[in-house]
Amino acid sequence: MNLFSHSWLPFIYLYGFGGILFIAGIIITMKAGSFDLKRPKHKKWMWILIFGFVWYIAMHALMTWAALGTISPYVVLYTLLAMVAIFIVVTLRFGKGAKA
Amino acid sequence: MQTFHSIGTTTDWIVMVVYFMAIMLFGSYFGRYTKNTSDFFFGGRRFSWWLITMSIVATGVGSHSFVKYSAKGFEHGIASSMTYLNDWFFIAFFMFGWLPIIVYSKVRSIPEYFEKRFSPSSRFIATILLLLYMIGYIGIGFLTLGKAVIPMLPSAFVILGMTVPVTLMGAIIVIAIITGIYITFGGQTAVIFTDLLQGFILLFAGLLLFFFGITYLGGFDIFWNLLPVEWKLPLADFNQPSNFNFVGIFWQDAIAGSIGFLFMNQGLIMRFMACKNVNEGRKAAGINILFVLPISAIVVGNAGWVGKAISIASPEVVSPSVSPDQIFVVVANIIASPGMFGFIMAALTAALMSTVDTLINATAAIYINDVHRPVRQFLKKSYGTVSESDRKELTAARYASIAVTTLGVLAVLAFKNFPTVYEAHGFFHSTLTPPLVVGIFLGVFWKRFTASAVITTFVGGVALMILGARYPGILIAPFDHGIEMNEAHPYSYIRALYNTLVCTGVGVAVAYTTKFQLSLVSNIRSKPNNKMIMNGLLVVAILLFATVLFGISGITIQLVAAVGVMILVPLTVTYFVHYDEEVNTVGLTAGSINIARKQFKGSEPNDQEGENAFVHWKLIEGEERVMRFSENDMALMKANVGDLVYLCDKRNWMGGLKSVHSVFAEPHSEDGIVYMTADLAESGLFVEGRELKAEKEM
Repeated sequence: MNLFSHSWLPFIYLYGFGGILFIAGIIITMKAGSFDLKRPKHKKWMWILIFGFVWYIAMHALMTWAALGTISPYVVLYTLLAMVAIFIVVTLRFGKGAKA
Repeated sequence: MQTFHSIGTTTDWIVMVVYFMAIMLFGSYFGRYTKNTSDFFFGGRRFSWWLITMSIVATGVGSHSFVKYSAKGFEHGIASSMTYLNDWFFIAFFMFGWLPIIVYSKVRSIPEYFEKRFSPSSRFIATILLLLYMIGYIGIGFLTLGKAVIPMLPSAFVILGMTVPVTLMGAIIVIAIITGIYITFGGQTAVIFTDLLQGFILLFAGLLLFFFGITYLGGFDIFWNLLPVEWKLPLADFNQPSNFNFVGIFWQDAIAGSIGFLFMNQGLIMRFMACKNVNEGRKAAGINILFVLPISAIVVGNAGWVGKAISIASPEVVSPSVSPDQIFVVVANIIASPGMFGFIMAALTAALMSTVDTLINATAAIYINDVHRPVRQFLKKSYGTVSESDRKELTAARYASIAVTTLGVLAVLAFKNFPTVYEAHGFFHSTLTPPLVVGIFLGVFWKRFTASAVITTFVGGVALMILGARYPGILIAPFDHGIEMNEAHPYSYIRALYNTLVCTGVGVAVAYTTKFQLSLVSNIRSKPNNKMIMNGLLVVAILLFATVLFGISGITIQLVAAVGVMILVPLTVTYFVHYDEEVNTVGLTAGSINIARKQFKGSEPNDQEGENAFVHWKLIEGEERVMRFSENDMALMKANVGDLVYLCDKRNWMGGLKSVHSVFAEPHSEDGIVYMTADLAESGLFVEGRELKAEKEM
């Protein structure tokens, strides 16, 4: 059974178009000066923005692999939990950096 | 299709009634913190991010309800979650564009932004479009509530010997009366705190239901292996079937829906305005989209997935022909014990009520801000003192809430004939959001976007959208990505792409031809009969729009009329409306947010990052809304006289309920003490003897 139009085609479309919009958002707000990486808090937000995009790509890719039987659904759960842990640790480190 | 009545036991009904009474008492308790229209609508701009995040859960999950996602989960599997997992693409635009603008420009509603950014006439049209959107949204909420409750009710009641049939509209009217009660007397603070409680409860209830479902089936592995591969995939098939396909839902939900929800849903905007500052709003949005929405996707869709698995394993227990909109109630009744089923149903209906309440409150805010006040100003009617004016507006807001509730019930009629709530909602989003979404988006991120461009986007864009709706096979088909056209509900989702493109195209074309319009209008102005010429063009534009609106003649004539509208509207707007790009964009576009910050504060922002100070408060005589801290405390906060300060109860779990914004005045020498007027202490709801936390803003 050909499941490409039900699995990777929508995935590519979602993160292709979505990725263009996401990057455009960052570039436009940076060019406008409202998103300013010279400010420590905004550096932290940049990390969160990038993490969020990767987080959703990972989530959809892992769920697709699990559905197609390539990986176990438990791998999806454990990988996502590991990503949450990384997010918390790195974001808290940014917080300390911002205060220092 | 199999439908149900009288599901549930007496115990379930008792649990539901107790739950609702508890929620209403909870809301009424926090309603006492509503002292003026600012509190009624915005909760006083004081709350912490976590409180707003949980409050948004109840609003978001309620609106993207258990009913519709369980229905799609049952019909199409885990792909029902995709609308919850596609909101990240616009987050930078929101966090660093729209959110700071609405906070720093101190607008109280989206139409007010249109007046400041463009012109009063833009505000007028935006108000009409936004009220239509909000009332339609309330209608969808009521429809979902009705569909959720109907399976639990008998098919008829016998009252005094008379048989009264239970109808969808009858159930909705009763629900609307209950819903209207605490919003009318509580306001935004009541809604935020009620939603906080309900946010936790409904996440818990949804996950509990998933646990029961998995246990009922015999474990996660059995559940997973029962589902066909197509049901496990997280995204729908690219372009089929017509009632649930990826590409249509991408444009309807990820694009139009996400921008609509983040940028023009007044209910959500008011949640962010209730945050104590912009950064807290960013945190609330970020955590909500990153972590809470994926959990919510499981919470709202799992009943459908479990229902599908049961229908494969035991079709005699859950028939594959169950009405999709009833699957949530059917599955919950099978897998939860009596009492627990009542609790889950109470959480579901209460969550839906939260959404509707938020929307009613938000629509009343639009009425007060964009209809009541402008009309009062136009009539030059004065209410006397500020407090007298505020009291009368609060009364008007409460009457407006009742009127909006009634209109919301009537709006159900427009959606009740769709096969499922999901399709009704999809059609609604695709149709009503694009003009405003494009207007807001280009207004915020493109300085060259003018008043004539936005008004033509509204009028000309709507004209082309009407034509698209009337001739979908000709105008929308070129954008359909291979989706088959359903004659009964043509292109429910992908029409969002057509509608967004035509609105954007019109807006961009008009903005790029601004110089040409100015030169033409300048020529006309030089003629002695210029006013008559422009009035004549205005009448022609109205007639052309009427040609499109009422479908006079064939498609060619209507298309020509629409083009005529797009040519004449910018000219008449340029002539009649005063618009100065330099004045109208300051502090209102992403490129001028730093100016907006300065305007908000009243002086240059102080971005030095200090520490929080913990203080006790004492009263001083006077009327100035300023605070006096010690020199050392101000040094700790790196604050200067004239900087903004946020003072709140030290107990973080209060989430900012007891707090106030003020300005640093000249310091004194008593460390750990802040002096403030009785008025400020009362606004902050501070308790004598309680320690407070002070932080410098901006």
